[in-house]
Amino acid sequence: MSIFTPTNQIRLTNVAVVRMKKGGKRFEIACYKNKVLSWRSGVEKDMDEVLQTQSVFVNVSKGQVAKKEDLTKAFGTDDLTEICKQILAKGELQVSDKERSSQLETMFRDIATIVAEKCVNPETKRPYTVNLIERAMKDIHYSVKPNKSTKQQALDVIRQLKETMEIQRAHMRLRLVLPAKEAKRLKEKLKPLLQVVESEDFDEQLEMVCLVDPGCYREMDELIRCETRGRGSLEVLSLKDVEEGDEKF
Amino acid sequence: MGHTSLQKIIALQRNPANIRNLCILAHVDHGKTTLADCLVASNGIISSRLAGKLRYLDSREDEQIRGITMKSSAISLHCTHGAQEYLLNLIDSPGHVDFSSEVSTAVRLCDGAIVVVDAVEGVCPQTQVVLRQAWLENIRPVLVINKIDRLILELKLSAQEAYTHLQKLLEQVNAVTGSLFTSKVLEDRAEKEEEKERDMASGDYVYDCSDGLEEADDSLLYFSPDQGNVVFASAMDGWGFSIQQFANIYSQKMGIKAAVLLKTLWGDFYLNAKAKKIMKGAQAKGKKPLFVQLVLDNIWSLYDAVVTRRDAEKVEKVVTSLGVKVMARDSRHSDPKVLLAAICSQWLPVSQAVLSMVCEKLPSPLDIAAERVEKLMSVGARRFDSLPKQTQELKRAFLECSSGENSPVIVFVSKMFAVDTKALPQNRQRPLTQEELSQRRELARQRHADRMAADQAATESNKDLNHTGRVPQEDRPAGLSTAKMESLTLKESKQEEEEEQKETFVAFARVYSGVVKKGQRVFVLGPKYDPTQGLRMLPEGCSASDAVCEVPHLSCCTMESIYLLMGRELEELEEVPAGNILGVGGLQECVLKSATLSTSPACPPFTPLNFEATPIVRVAIEPIHPSEMPKLVRGMRLLNQADPCAEVLIQETGEHVLVTAGEVHLQRCLDDLRERFAKIEISASKPIIPFRETVVRPPKVDMVNEELGKQHKVAIIHQVKEEASQSRLSDNLHVDPSGLVTLDTPNRLSTVSVRAIPLPHEVTCLLESSSELIRTLEQVNMSLREGKSLDVSLRTLEAIAGLKTQLESLLQGRKWRNTVEHIWAFGPRRYGPNILLNSVEGYQRPSVWQCLSRGDNVIDAGAQSAQLRDFDNSIISGFQLATLAGPMCEEPLMGVCFSVERWDIQSSGQSQNQDSVEKGSISPEDFAHHKVERRSDTSQAEGTAAGPGHARRRPEANAGDCYGPVSGQLIAAMKEACRHAFQAQPQRLMAAMYTCEIMATAEVLGRMYGVLGKREGRVLHEEMKEGTDMFIIKAVLPVAESFGFADEIRKRTSGLASPQLVFSHWEVTGSDPYWVPTTEEEYLHFGEKADSANQTLKYMNAVRRRKGLYVDEKIVEHGEKQRTLGKNK
Repeated sequence: MSIFTPTNQIRLTNVAVVRMKKGGKRFEIACYKNKVLSWRSGVEKDMDEVLQTQSVFVNVSKGQVAKKEDLTKAFGTDDLTEICKQILAKGELQVSDKERSSQLETMFRDIATIVAEKCVNPETKRPYTVNLIERAMKDIHYSVKPNKSTKQQALDVIRQLKETMEIQRAHMRLRLVLPAKEAKRLKEKLKPLLQVVESEDFDEQLEMVCLVDPGCYREMDELIRCETRGRGSLEVLSLKDVEEGDEKF
Repeated sequence: MGHTSLQKIIALQRNPANIRNLCILAHVDHGKTTLADCLVASNGIISSRLAGKLRYLDSREDEQIRGITMKSSAISLHCTHGAQEYLLNLIDSPGHVDFSSEVSTAVRLCDGAIVVVDAVEGVCPQTQVVLRQAWLENIRPVLVINKIDRLILELKLSAQEAYTHLQKLLEQVNAVTGSLFTSKVLEDRAEKEEEKERDMASGDYVYDCSDGLEEADDSLLYFSPDQGNVVFASAMDGWGFSIQQFANIYSQKMGIKAAVLLKTLWGDFYLNAKAKKIMKGAQAKGKKPLFVQLVLDNIWSLYDAVVTRRDAEKVEKVVTSLGVKVMARDSRHSDPKVLLAAICSQWLPVSQAVLSMVCEKLPSPLDIAAERVEKLMSVGARRFDSLPKQTQELKRAFLECSSGENSPVIVFVSKMFAVDTKALPQNRQRPLTQEELSQRRELARQRHADRMAADQAATESNKDLNHTGRVPQEDRPAGLSTAKMESLTLKESKQEEEEEQKETFVAFARVYSGVVKKGQRVFVLGPKYDPTQGLRMLPEGCSASDAVCEVPHLSCCTMESIYLLMGRELEELEEVPAGNILGVGGLQECVLKSATLSTSPACPPFTPLNFEATPIVRVAIEPIHPSEMPKLVRGMRLLNQADPCAEVLIQETGEHVLVTAGEVHLQRCLDDLRERFAKIEISASKPIIPFRETVVRPPKVDMVNEELGKQHKVAIIHQVKEEASQSRLSDNLHVDPSGLVTLDTPNRLSTVSVRAIPLPHEVTCLLESSSELIRTLEQVNMSLREGKSLDVSLRTLEAIAGLKTQLESLLQGRKWRNTVEHIWAFGPRRYGPNILLNSVEGYQRPSVWQCLSRGDNVIDAGAQSAQLRDFDNSIISGFQLATLAGPMCEEPLMGVCFSVERWDIQSSGQSQNQDSVEKGSISPEDFAHHKVERRSDTSQAEGTAAGPGHARRRPEANAGDCYGPVSGQLIAAMKEACRHAFQAQPQRLMAAMYTCEIMATAEVLGRMYGVLGKREGRVLHEEMKEGTDMFIIKAVLPVAESFGFADEIRKRTSGLASPQLVFSHWEVTGSDPYWVPTTEEEYLHFGEKADSANQTLKYMNAVRRRKGLYVDEKIVEHGEKQRTLGKNK
């Protein structure tokens, strides 16, 4: 083996190494960059577009090819294609730049879309556009966390955006029917959860139409169900209270 | 001539016989504003030296930079013609297509128009348009042939050639007028014939075979120099003449009668030098026509001497012979044009020629044609005779144009324009008096003291907070100091707002009758106001000062100030008599763009302005900083008011859309928003294009028109199965070959089977159009479910019944038998164009039509269906969610019927268990298990953030809550089932379509078709407009392809085709987005990857990418071809 000096060092470029430990041995394969995730998601179907070569290495950068007996011992076969497929599917790799950026961008968009779907401008009761939300997210320097679900991050973003712009979750329109006996007591309990009470009708039972924050729905549902023992009811009139149709000035 | 004083103009305003209201119309760059400059210079408002360079009426900065006029602006001029003094209210209008709406606003207020035509370019598209506009508004045009100097200097024509050129040009213009005339006559005739046909039904009738053309007299219509309605000019060089002027000159010189000269100076006449006689037939005899000999030759030789040869001696001679004085600095100037202008503007001043033509040929407000009045006063198809008597009497007031105290005031506002508040005369800067100075000083001192006090208070209250925790005045629980800061900034921002409100709107208007006084109260008549109704509802003799009026489309307002429009300046006036153009302030609250003002409620609103160009360029506008949204909205409101043609709307998606007439107009609107109205940074982008998702019947043939075998069908299903097996619900999901999807809820207690069926096109249309009705139906049902009865009007019930029978008639055939009765719900949002169908055997639920058969909604419900009914709402909710966002790109569904074929909740043996679940007696561990499973599924549907771990930690808290979970699971299961059922059918995208009406001349037809074809447009039909060479083409065009369409079509056809776009319908796009070649023929034709453009896939991926959904695309197409160097090399 040659002496490892900067002059005779061979840099691996355009190579993504996928590693897997099996049977106490480490195996590596050499792949093209930005291709492995496409293979895993099933978009890329041609394996030759993913692999640089179909040989399995012990160390790609040193060019050490794995021994046949090791392979058979670890994988139970010496069919290189089969082994490569296994390593591709299960091995660990460093995600390449483009892969990561596209992944982050997609998530960023997704978060913005969710926020735009869930929120309205409280003044006009109209949703914001995804573009605007994206810009606002950039303004507050929101960074996407790749290992957290987009939904969760969206809720986070809404909270943060509230500080810089007029935004709020679109309210749900609910109709509550409470039996007369518990109505008064329950109403007091529900009061902090209700944002706007649109109508209230009290004859045999209390009937209210109100707007609530969607986050409170579960709580209200529980409250009503427990307290009234199933006699009260909660009905969703609309999931999002937004202005409909186009408005001309 | 010196500067005309305001008093003079006010005095002139009282004499309507000597008022001329006129506008200057032309194609872009034919010299309207230059001509206007010359006229303005004649009044001494600007120096005549600067005339033509200053462009006085282009007061906007971007107008000056771009060199085109963008708005119509008025100026009042004084002129003396003969013994009379005249007042000219001149309106300069823009020539660019995008601003043709401004032309409409100008034309409406005028009685006459100067049409300017470039001598070289001749009749251009906009020339035709303005001639048509003038024609439609019944105003009399006169012609100015401008830029004659270009014939001499650029084209280097000889005088003789120029004469023929001018003759041809005149013919062109007259041809346009003639075609307008014939089309009018033909229209009249068609109308008459219709009437006659009606008559024919009743009585006998002899066919009249003359086409009416011969009868109608058109001799007065045409432009001809000997009629005196043509001026030849070069506004740039400051000269212009009419035949009359030369006739006068030569009649003295040659001793021929001026009248004879006037008739012969233009035309095929020549001067027989020997006989000193004017003879006919110059062309035949090869003689110089009189016009060339006497007129053009002189001008040509002048140009030759001054510009071409720069012969000082000759110039000297000419100057003396013309009796013109030239200043030394002009004659020594290096640019010969200056000298030329100096000579010409004294010899043949353009302003004099034009002004005298205007005074003689254009009508005064007194001469307003009865026909025009009737046309103005009768809105739409309504005939003038059908208007109430009092209204008809107003016609007299119009015709008299009386300024008497008793005559009713009638004012028409054609547009609103924004003026800087500072520029208003009452706010103009003037030296401060001593008193005011001291007052200001006092104010400043006080402000300073206040600030000091506030600071002190803030620090003190800060201390207070620590001790007592007192809540600040603003009721902010946050720290006091920050609250205080906020309140301070609030105050500041309020002040800022006040400062920003410095755009005042002034109405661009004309008085048709009566005297308008400052502070007068008038009625504002909306376009839909009906005088019959108004007269009935208002008490006799009611005036606008009685504030209360509840007549629809009628409101009152005060004219707070009245201005004389002087180009960029305004002069305040006390009153304006009839027949004048004026500006009215203080109307911005009640007038949006145009309106009719009157003191009499009998006055009908004037016919709306007819715009040649409708707004079609759409962009979405957003502030760069999201927090500036309110400013943007306010700015857009102002813009909407200030621009007659721009449309502003907020779409359901939350986009603020601006619709303009063209790219240049758009640019101006954006500039206005940025600099005047909103004063924020904004960005304009392509608007979001909506799509719909639908399913279609499985195709019978494949992409290469081969019969499909069974094999292919299997392949489709295989594909779906493959997809399904990837999803996490795989073990609960079954898809059978016919497309029936069966799905269990995660707790395996309930099963739903759903099938997606495409609805016939007509049904979709019907549902779409009757969405309002379905919404009321839904409301009625909801109240019925409660056992309450809502009062439904008989009419609504009838309408609902009608809808039902219509649906029944449309949904026929074996497949749809009895389906209408079993409709479960509509979606999305309960009134959309999708149907949920109840095909569950043995499950009876009240039908959606229950309101039609009230009373007998008692249904014998078995135990099973009763249990099902409890969860009825969950199924509906699931369906609503599924239809709101489809699986292709999360766009709403359309025209899909989901039929629920099987639905059971674990039967009786376990129903006990189920009940116990409801009572909450199930063991906590067991429940927690369900809970966890459920959470992961329904969190999507419910939109709560609680993760599974969260639920696991506190199962007890949820122990009582067990009804919810089942219903929640059911919603999710139903939604998933719908989505899979949808995917089991061939899916298609529906694109929004515009209908596009294009007017084009025959020669650009081909190029126009090219543009349409490139943008996936389809021509429906084309027909020729009778009497003209215009074609009217009707086509459909996908909204997705319409961005930049108007601009492209105008460019390609040199502005000869003008499209109009209106949203019409949704259309299924041709190809399957998920299609890949499967049969051998398809492989042969498309190759393995089928990467020839799949339009639907393109649309779908664009939407998915915009929404951040997963797009089935490789990040890098070829791994090998990436940059192979390391980053640090």
